Amino acid sequence: MTDETQFDRIIDRYEKTEESLLAILQDFQREFHYVPEEGIRRLSEMMEVPESKIYAMGTFYKALSLTPRGRHTVRVCTGTACHLKGAPQILETLERELKVKRNGTTTDGEFTLECVNCVGACAMAPVTLIDEEYHGQTRSSKIMDIVKKQVGS
Amino acid sequence: MGAINSIEQLEAYRQEIAAGVKADLPTVLVCFGTGCQANGARPVAEAFSDIIEEQGLELNVNIGIKTTGCHGYCENGPLVALQPQGILYLKVRPEDVAEIVEESIKGGRIVERLIYRDKTTSEMIAEYSEIPFYKHQHRIALRHIGNIDPASIDDYILAGGYAALAKALRMKPDDIITEIEDSGLRGRGGGGFPAGTKWRSCVAVQSDARYVLCNGDEGDPGAFMDRSIMEGDPHSVIEGMIIGAIAVDAHRGYIYVRDEYPLAVRNLNSALEAAREKGLLGENILGSGFAFDIRISRGGGAFVCGESSALMRSVGGEVGEPRAKYIRSVERGLYDKPTVLNNVETWTNVPEIIVKGAEWYAGMGTEGSKGTKVFSLVGKVNNTGLVEVPMGISIRELVEDIGGGILNGKRFKAVQTGGPSGGCIPERMADLPIDFDSLTEAGSMMGSGGIIVMDEETCMVDVAKYFINFLVEESCGKCTPCRDGLPRMLDLLTDITEGRGGEEHVAMLEELCDLLTWGALCGLGTSAANPVLSTIKYFRDEYDAHIRDKKCPAGVCKALITYSIDAEACTGCRLCAKNCPQECITGKRKEAHVIDTEKCIKCGVCRDVCTFDAVRIS
Amino acid sequence: MEKVSVIIDGRAFEAVKDQCVLEVAHENGVYIPSLCYNSEVASSGGSCRVCLVEAHQGGRMRLVTACNYPVRKGLEVKTDTPLVHRIRRGVLELLMARVPDSEVIREMAAAEGLSEVRFRLDEGEDDRFNCIACALCTNVCADVVGVYAIAMVNRGAEKKPATPYYKASDVCIGCGACAYACPTGAIAMEEEDGVRRIWGRDFNMVKCGVCGTPYIPEAQVDWIVKTTGKDRSFFDKCPDHR
Repeated sequence: MTDETQFDRIIDRYEKTEESLLAILQDFQREFHYVPEEGIRRLSEMMEVPESKIYAMGTFYKALSLTPRGRHTVRVCTGTACHLKGAPQILETLERELKVKRNGTTTDGEFTLECVNCVGACAMAPVTLIDEEYHGQTRSSKIMDIVKKQVGS
Repeated sequence: MGAINSIEQLEAYRQEIAAGVKADLPTVLVCFGTGCQANGARPVAEAFSDIIEEQGLELNVNIGIKTTGCHGYCENGPLVALQPQGILYLKVRPEDVAEIVEESIKGGRIVERLIYRDKTTSEMIAEYSEIPFYKHQHRIALRHIGNIDPASIDDYILAGGYAALAKALRMKPDDIITEIEDSGLRGRGGGGFPAGTKWRSCVAVQSDARYVLCNGDEGDPGAFMDRSIMEGDPHSVIEGMIIGAIAVDAHRGYIYVRDEYPLAVRNLNSALEAAREKGLLGENILGSGFAFDIRISRGGGAFVCGESSALMRSVGGEVGEPRAKYIRSVERGLYDKPTVLNNVETWTNVPEIIVKGAEWYAGMGTEGSKGTKVFSLVGKVNNTGLVEVPMGISIRELVEDIGGGILNGKRFKAVQTGGPSGGCIPERMADLPIDFDSLTEAGSMMGSGGIIVMDEETCMVDVAKYFINFLVEESCGKCTPCRDGLPRMLDLLTDITEGRGGEEHVAMLEELCDLLTWGALCGLGTSAANPVLSTIKYFRDEYDAHIRDKKCPAGVCKALITYSIDAEACTGCRLCAKNCPQECITGKRKEAHVIDTEKCIKCGVCRDVCTFDAVRIS
Repeated sequence: MEKVSVIIDGRAFEAVKDQCVLEVAHENGVYIPSLCYNSEVASSGGSCRVCLVEAHQGGRMRLVTACNYPVRKGLEVKTDTPLVHRIRRGVLELLMARVPDSEVIREMAAAEGLSEVRFRLDEGEDDRFNCIACALCTNVCADVVGVYAIAMVNRGAEKKPATPYYKASDVCIGCGACAYACPTGAIAMEEEDGVRRIWGRDFNMVKCGVCGTPYIPEAQVDWIVKTTGKDRSFFDKCPDHR
């Protein structure tokens, strides 16, 4: 499991002010694929900011997750252009095929399925992101092939 | 070279860069925007580098191959432009690169299969500036995008960058504000508040500290001009902010960038670093004694943080909840200090106005809305992407002349502007000039400039439901009307789209709209009525069809439609049957197929895979 | 302190500049309902929206929350107009749908002539019982008590006060200020055999040396001693016997 030094390594990169809190939490998210409870507690101690305040941030910002996410994240852009061009069908297909609801993680811990409110790539709508990779003009009938091809399963 | 210590040194440095550039030698520009990268721009750029190295071609020694920001024509990416000829190649693959080098760069010929071909006239056009999508544009905010390498401060300086800063340092702060006031520049983030007035009010407040902020939390779905600018021309935003800081005497600035834009964060960070190294930011800017620096604040995935007071709390490391703005942020903003907040596109315009003058800028646009505006033209339109045109252009010109009309020859139904705070404007009002005031009058708003084109297959009740659902998820939950009113609106709209709606549903929706407009705390709530009211106003017949006839005329609302196969059109290819997740399509090879509507889950996969357009929705 | 004149419902009153409308009204006997505001808690207010009134100023009118709208020169307030009542009724109907069992909300709604809710009633979780998510509890805990044991978590309809991870908080002092401040009595606080239970944690109570009544949690005494330097013996007797 994680120990304090892992958190300190991230916290030490930032200035000791409340302005740094969100950035540190995002770094936790990137590093551990979620924001661990011990991380929030450590951050509270180091920054001398109440734990309740940091926990509230963890529950408010969508980019942060308080429970572990899957090894891969599939994000369906549900911006307006994507919505009109078939994002709901893509989302449904992924929910059905991966057997997971949006914002959920598959039981094997392989995938987390999320929606994102516009990634600003509307000219390529509908867009699906698998981990950090963008896939434009995706179709519901092809989406599972794309997922399988990228994660190689 | 280290820091530049004076305005004179900046000019000398600019000439030094220019001297190293051989203007007539070819330059390859590979678009490295998010869209083109997703389409595979990186391997294309690598192929160019390899071949150039291999053949030892004498390209422009100083620049050679450049990776640029987003041209805005992402649908046709990866885009490759050749200078000085001004040729634009679309959908370039790594295997095309050798041919481009051989034919175009060495031979001066055009590779015809890679150039633009008009979807309606079939006309082939090689020159960037002649393609209809670009031809009608007038690029000010997007002036450098696609022409410079965002990672190179030298590129920006060579293109005239930081000359406005040099000029501003010689002006009186008050004169800078007057210049911005006279230009008529209005905030491009949504509300359209005059930028100069904002700056002037900020200076008028006595304070020991002031801040300038850049709102890069471009949250309206369907708008991505700010992403493009931050990714493709970060120095123009930085330069604009430094000028703003001189005008209002601020020494610290923040750029708040959406978490969903990782490339923008990266490019802004390296631009800030480069500007500091060159002495354009920091303790003693260009030796003037003026001190100013900028920090980047990454958003956390919350739409409400685009609202000014929520943004300021988020910058300060808190939950992004708005507060009542009975005292404006120019008076009491970030850390309760006077604060100027403008969005990315607004800041980008500032250096151009300082260099070319207020009169030049005010000469464009309409009476109340000066200058140009960047729109992101997306949805059911042939040419999608970023378009910068003078204010006052009509919706029809935008959709038909620049956008090339509706996709697949369908009927143009409406445009949606202003994101979740805006509304839908019907085709019959498409001659409306696009400016801040006309859009508001029509029950929508400019917002950040997203123009989402809708055709006959777009259900307007579904669109209203889409936006309310969006807002339900993004409401911060602080005030009652927004927190508890939006879910009730979603209940009502869901009832209508699922065939449970009665006449009273529309009346109750209107009541809740009234409640939110008057009673909600911040702009997210007070403008949430627009998507609902505008669709009720202009598309009442569609609401009626859902409520009275239990039908969705556009064929979108799942509970009210059925899928079937047109026996005439079906060739019996079996493709749909093979892909149906319910295995509810039957039929022999080369004979018409049938859908078992009992088992059908209306997922649409059959329609998606059918190459003969034989799957019908009724 | 700069004084300004303000007109409320046609009558002129003198007030301190930037004082909130609600206080000026209440000082002068003009009733405006409110839930989330407490004059002792600086950061409270602005959330429940039942105190919305018409503010006429500089030629424009808007609805503002009386609890945090600053009184400035030339302000005219109207608390009893059709618009004010219409919007207040709407807010109360939503609150009734959210907390159908709350007596306070039902009475306030009845005063506006409202008894029926047309919307689907909220099925909310048990621990949201009667909570209108107004944040007065968390504001009291942070600004007045200063321990930050609870905060408003989540967003949208799921917003509510909670301790981190909904676990018994190790910083909570059991003072109960949150429960006393709550306008709808939504925070459970029980006392039995000299033990107080709140936010999932048990607190031993100090008994009064005279009457023997348990009257303050030990943790609260520790907190007060630590933050104010007050002598511990001060808490040997309850306020009635000091």
